[in-house]
Amino acid sequence: MSNFKKETKILKSLKDVFEIKGSVKSDKRISIKADKKNVSSILLFLKNQKGFIHLNHISCVDWIEQNEFELVYIVWNPKTRLTVMVHTRIKRDEPVMENIDTIWDQANTYEREFREMFGIEFPGLIGAKEFILEDWDNIPPMRKDFNSQQYAIDTFSTRPGRENAQNVREAIQKRSGEEIPDFAKKYSRD
Amino acid sequence: MIREQETTLYLGPQHPGITGNMMVKLKVKGDTVIKAETHVGYLHRAFEKLIENRNWLQSFTLLCRFCVPEPDPMELTYARAVEQLEGREVPERAKYIRTIVSELARIQSFLLWYGGQSGSSGLYTLGQWSVGDRNYILDLFEDLTGARIYHMYMWPGGVRRDLPEGWIDKAYKTMDYLEKRLTDYNQLLFDNAIFQKRAQGVGIIPKDKAIEWGVVGAPLRGTGIKHDVRIDEPYEAYDQLKFVVPTYEGGDVWARALVRRDEIKQSISIIRQALDKLPGGSYYNRIPNPMKWTVPAGEAWVKTESVRGEIGFYVVSDGSNKPRRVHLKGAAYAHGVSVLEKILPGQNIADVSFILNSLGVCPPEIER
Amino acid sequence: MSEKNTIGIPTVEEIKQAQIDFSPRCTAAGRVNDKETQKMVDYILNFARKHSLFVLAYGTGCGAIEIPATMTSRYDAERFGIRGAATPRQADILMITGYLSTKTLKRVIRVYEQMQDPKYVIAFGSCTINGGMYFDSYNTIKALDRYLPVDVYIAGCMPRPESVIRGFVKLQELIQKGNAGNGECYRENLDWYRENQQKVIKNWDFPENYNW
Repeated sequence: MSNFKKETKILKSLKDVFEIKGSVKSDKRISIKADKKNVSSILLFLKNQKGFIHLNHISCVDWIEQNEFELVYIVWNPKTRLTVMVHTRIKRDEPVMENIDTIWDQANTYEREFREMFGIEFPGLIGAKEFILEDWDNIPPMRKDFNSQQYAIDTFSTRPGRENAQNVREAIQKRSGEEIPDFAKKYSRD
Repeated sequence: MIREQETTLYLGPQHPGITGNMMVKLKVKGDTVIKAETHVGYLHRAFEKLIENRNWLQSFTLLCRFCVPEPDPMELTYARAVEQLEGREVPERAKYIRTIVSELARIQSFLLWYGGQSGSSGLYTLGQWSVGDRNYILDLFEDLTGARIYHMYMWPGGVRRDLPEGWIDKAYKTMDYLEKRLTDYNQLLFDNAIFQKRAQGVGIIPKDKAIEWGVVGAPLRGTGIKHDVRIDEPYEAYDQLKFVVPTYEGGDVWARALVRRDEIKQSISIIRQALDKLPGGSYYNRIPNPMKWTVPAGEAWVKTESVRGEIGFYVVSDGSNKPRRVHLKGAAYAHGVSVLEKILPGQNIADVSFILNSLGVCPPEIER
Repeated sequence: MSEKNTIGIPTVEEIKQAQIDFSPRCTAAGRVNDKETQKMVDYILNFARKHSLFVLAYGTGCGAIEIPATMTSRYDAERFGIRGAATPRQADILMITGYLSTKTLKRVIRVYEQMQDPKYVIAFGSCTINGGMYFDSYNTIKALDRYLPVDVYIAGCMPRPESVIRGFVKLQELIQKGNAGNGECYRENLDWYRENQQKVIKNWDFPENYNW
């Protein structure tokens, strides 16, 4: 294995400029943790100075136990083929994040999605309020405290017959009267 | 005196020219598009929410349905992400089988693209041929996995089943047949004056902006930039096989079509090489009881080259038996929304579905 | 090969003997007073209808991927008189290819109401029957027949082209018997359907009357 020379160099140059924690995760993957207010300047620095001109992905994870959302910005350098993942945490109670669609246009799509699915506000974000959902009046659905199954039961009329689908093996056994062999029992759900 | 007025046109969701179930709202003046706006969400099934309630193996039923024309790269990417989180090794034979299956998936998707691209320019014969011949690839899948479209074949730790008896011969034969047919397809499409006139100079993606806009895959290679995940970050058996990544200058529909024309030939060659070199041994590193199987906490960002371009999975585990977050980045996520909105203004209305097909916009990948 | 030709053009004797259901729903056109003549007219109309089925080109879900395969050279659905139609007003069959998200349901209802009688609905895939694997999804409907009258269900995920063709043939049988085409049924029970539809579609902005 290589000794991650290129990766360490990028990480060091980032650490020189910004207050970040970070490490080289694996080959071509650099993972850094930054404060919310530094993110846009880190991304600008990476894009303009270090050649990470391709925004691969933005992801959002709901860490409800810590009462936080984690936003992950994944940028890619087409020359050195390195990937930097910039993590930041924002409070779940006041979910506001800086809008970066001035740096990359396609970030607008992600941010519109997160506004809708997680309820994160991006000040100054343009574009239609409704991106994927239509007439949604509940809490944003991708949040962990939204119970999709309960909502589905309450909203949609269902066909009977799925209630005992929790344990298929037992349901079949009850219906047909056949015995479950011991070796099969260890694969059942509980 | 004729006054030119702006009109709003809704292309879709029910429209024969649209790829899948989406809508492009066009502001047009005469015949020219002034402004385009993509509206998606008609296929939103909340996969990423549902996967949080499934265990690691159950998610495969949902995962392969992320993008319908090409489900296998989704399985492969997710399986690789889980392997990366867990540190699970994949046997050499499984790597080759995975390579073969994902290249077969590429070919069948290319054949579907032939149908879409020619159909949107009014050439229906090619669609009949290529989509009909696509069934031969699906037959191979059926022999291998038991299903035509959704396979759930590539699992963490390898593949689900070994190659059945006689499959290798059948695969060779199918490749020979397809190679012969390709000449016919290309004569029908690329020698056709209608297609040449309609494709050249339409839907241009500028070369200097392409990477910044988030263009990937064949549209990016059509602008002359050589970028392919199979070379940048080789996975499975790709580093042991020889293949060329074709690039063409121009960035228009024509260049993208040429790239795809050459790529299907490369795919056939890759499958032949992999079948030649196929090693023996085990095909599966068994995973524990899937109901109780936990994956160590961590995150993984794994990329794969699909037909439409690079797709990636961002997978987060919190150490439990269910994924914390599985987030797909499809190639169409940028292509279908921001890139499309940028290149459509100035184009003809009739070319919109033409451009949509050449970008390979797959709406279920955008809204999931 | 039987003596009959493959389409099976009926003789007058066969028409007289045929069992035809005189339910009001599929006899929209050609009313005559004489019952025997009516039977003949119905039979011939149904015969003509079942051999020219135009499927609306609307891929509402992932099942749409098997439609090209069904239509093209290997499976060739056109030998049954089945082919695509571009707009709802020219189409006979609305094919619901899989799950419907609530956003699509609104468009599908609009499309269905624009179609001309006789119109048929084929529900395609397990998720139209009871939700399938999307049973706990917040955005897809679980049972299609609560919102639109369905003629034929094709089970499976995804159904193979053979089963799609089997579904079409079943529909043709139903049409011949006069049991298919629920446009009238939908109009009669519009209140029940509207109630179900409005439960799911929150912002209801459809026109008041059905015939628009």
